[in-house]
Amino acid sequence: MHNCKETREIFTELLLDGMDFRSDQALSAELSRCSECSSEFEALSATLRLTNRLGETAAPAEDYWPGYHSKLRQRLVNAQTESSTSGAKAQRHKDELGPLFEPLRPRAGTSLFARFLKTSVPVPLPLALALVVAVVVALPFAIRAARKEVQQPNTTTIVRVPVEVPVVQEKIVTRVVYRDRFQAGRFTKQTTEASQGESTFAKSQRSQVEAMPPGLAGFKPSDEVKLTVIKGGVPNEK
Amino acid sequence: MTERDTDAASDIDLVRRAQAEDIDAFCLLAERYARRIYLLAAHYCRNPQDAEDLSQEVWLKAYQAVQTFRFDSSFYTWLRRITINAFLNHRRASFFRSHGQTMSVQLLQIDSEEQHVFIESSSRSQENIYNKLLFESVVNALAELTPAQRLAFLLRHYEGMTYEEIATAMNCSIGTVKKGVWRAIGKLRARLAPESDAQETLTSLASEY
Repeated sequence: MHNCKETREIFTELLLDGMDFRSDQALSAELSRCSECSSEFEALSATLRLTNRLGETAAPAEDYWPGYHSKLRQRLVNAQTESSTSGAKAQRHKDELGPLFEPLRPRAGTSLFARFLKTSVPVPLPLALALVVAVVVALPFAIRAARKEVQQPNTTTIVRVPVEVPVVQEKIVTRVVYRDRFQAGRFTKQTTEASQGESTFAKSQRSQVEAMPPGLAGFKPSDEVKLTVIKGGVPNEK
Repeated sequence: MTERDTDAASDIDLVRRAQAEDIDAFCLLAERYARRIYLLAAHYCRNPQDAEDLSQEVWLKAYQAVQTFRFDSSFYTWLRRITINAFLNHRRASFFRSHGQTMSVQLLQIDSEEQHVFIESSSRSQENIYNKLLFESVVNALAELTPAQRLAFLLRHYEGMTYEEIATAMNCSIGTVKKGVWRAIGKLRARLAPESDAQETLTSLASEY
């Protein structure tokens, strides 16, 4: 069964490889069966032949190459000079800093971790002293800062403390006076009879007493007025 | 011993000398392979000046890296890997200095004051002009592809590399490489096939010169 897609893939790969399609009997048979594939093959074959010719076309003339190579040689010489200059700089740098990293250089039979543990780096004495002083000075501040951070937790605790609050008790003195409605007239009569033998002053005093409401009769206010102001429940505040 | 073995043997000898910082030996290697690298660069970047710059950049990179060559492949295989990386890393802007130029623009340039230079630099024959127009047409077709697709086609068609080799060298999948090659073929087929209008125009334009 002819499959156009498969056939085209096969002949494209053959053409790309530069193989002679005519040597492939199976492909020739497939192409003879399908005119579309056959014409596609011809077109593609012509296209790739043209692109192959490009190699010859795009290649510069022979007189181009001496200039190209002399330019390339110059660039290579420049690159070599630059690399030797930078190499010398790198070597000088290495000579200066080399002893610092000597313990970390790979050596046979020692692991990187073991070499790391044995590594020591020479440091100038003033720099070392300055570092020690800086650490000593900074340590208390660091500890204090750490404590402050510890003392400032955001958690709220509820503490229940019993507090005794004195309560001011007021004495309310009430006087209950019972008055008989029916005896009111008799009382009036009796007082009228008693007042007949009294003096004018006594009469006037009694009339004042009688004018007072019956509930407050006998109540005598004290001479000294004593006020107690209770504010905020503190009894000593006056 | 075949000629190819002799070449390989002398390649090894030249590489050893180049590793000992012998520029002359490296230049001999360059003379041997410069044309192939230049042609790849010319197809890739469509511009002779860019092709020269890029191919020389490849040789510089190769010279700087020649110490790392371990003789586990042929020198050209190793060089081609450097070439592919250099192509892919090359700045896109400089590649497409002539992007947007069409064939008609090229023809205008031929018509302009540079006409004699153009004609004298190439031979005056009709065939050479045809070839130049053909080259423009092909590189314009290739310019419609991404750089990776274009490079995949060049490596498959001009270098004869397999899809697996290209995929490994370009660090992508075989499917991506195949897709790029087939797209390139489709573009070229549309522009250069005998029955296409472009091809007819090309032939008629070439016959005018």
